[in-house]
Amino acid sequence: MKITNTENQYGIVAILLHWGMAIILIGMVALGLYMTALPVSLLKLKLYGWHKEFGVLVLILVMLRIVWRIANITPSLTSLPWWESLAARSVHWAFYGFMLALPITGWLMTSAAGLAPSFFGLFVLPNLIAPNESHRLLFAEIHQWLAYGLIATFCAHVGAALKHEFIDKDEIMRRML
Amino acid sequence: MNRRTVLLSLALFLLPVIVAATPPAWQIDSKKSAISFSAIQNNSPITGQFTLFTGEINFDPTQLSTSHVNIIVDIGSVTTSYKEISDTLKTPDWFDVKLFPQAIFKADKFTKTGDKTYQAEGNLTIRDKTVPVTLQFTLEEYQNTKALIKGTTTLKRTAFGVGRGEWAKTDAVKDNVQVNFVLAVVRE
Repeated sequence: MKITNTENQYGIVAILLHWGMAIILIGMVALGLYMTALPVSLLKLKLYGWHKEFGVLVLILVMLRIVWRIANITPSLTSLPWWESLAARSVHWAFYGFMLALPITGWLMTSAAGLAPSFFGLFVLPNLIAPNESHRLLFAEIHQWLAYGLIATFCAHVGAALKHEFIDKDEIMRRML
Repeated sequence: MNRRTVLLSLALFLLPVIVAATPPAWQIDSKKSAISFSAIQNNSPITGQFTLFTGEINFDPTQLSTSHVNIIVDIGSVTTSYKEISDTLKTPDWFDVKLFPQAIFKADKFTKTGDKTYQAEGNLTIRDKTVPVTLQFTLEEYQNTKALIKGTTTLKRTAFGVGRGEWAKTDAVKDNVQVNFVLAVVRE
């Protein structure tokens, strides 16, 4: 297996970033849905702390991933009809949008609460904006809808990948394994 | 009248003057004064203020031995950058504002520690716990009719029972809380 991508296969770095972030993001969505429904408690506080720490990790990873994507060729989709290729690429770029927008809106909403996110106790990020309850509510709402958008995009992506593997029986999904 | 009697009478006359030489009483200018705190939650700072407090300040840097202060903080005036935290701090697990509406700091032992710096040793009562506390402060300004005092101390919240039950654990909310104050005081 190659480190970088080729015309027909994703390299090990892209594969690790893909699956690593997939696991973190699935966990983050599940955690986000669970923790927001909890009453005030020590558990809730700790879960929010973890959510923020992993959110900072997502932001760091997605920046590395974008750099890697730009610096690298992307395996082609020329074997597919144009509309399918367009749909696949749109979903991929939508993911990049969500992966950037979710941590940034999360950072904005916790900044608006005056609670700067910590990165696993190693460093504390600055607050992006001053504490303000109406701003916090606004960013919380955007964050929530972005998460729903991510879930919808995730379903489309997984559905398409499984269609290629089990219906079309082509190589598309296997290039990321 | 012999000399001893003269001296004794003189001393007796002067006694009220000496006793009257107590430190001046200062009034707190609440608009220019503040009591704030900074704690650590999830490895990140959270800051807040007590916006209402009163006090008696009898202080003179040349009469430290007779200086004394008594500060009363309205605990219900606690505010933080996030309303849910402010509200939680007022509940029985934290300050229990209904049962313990005031915190009181009393000090009568002052020591000069530097050019403009001093320390005050006293007792701080929060909830139903009274704990000896030492404050460090600086006389930023000291004139006949006004003075500016800035100070700080670090408290252990659990020593006062602030954070009970599961909140007594200090992993997510650290034990140390830094308290900073600015007192702008005036007198006639």
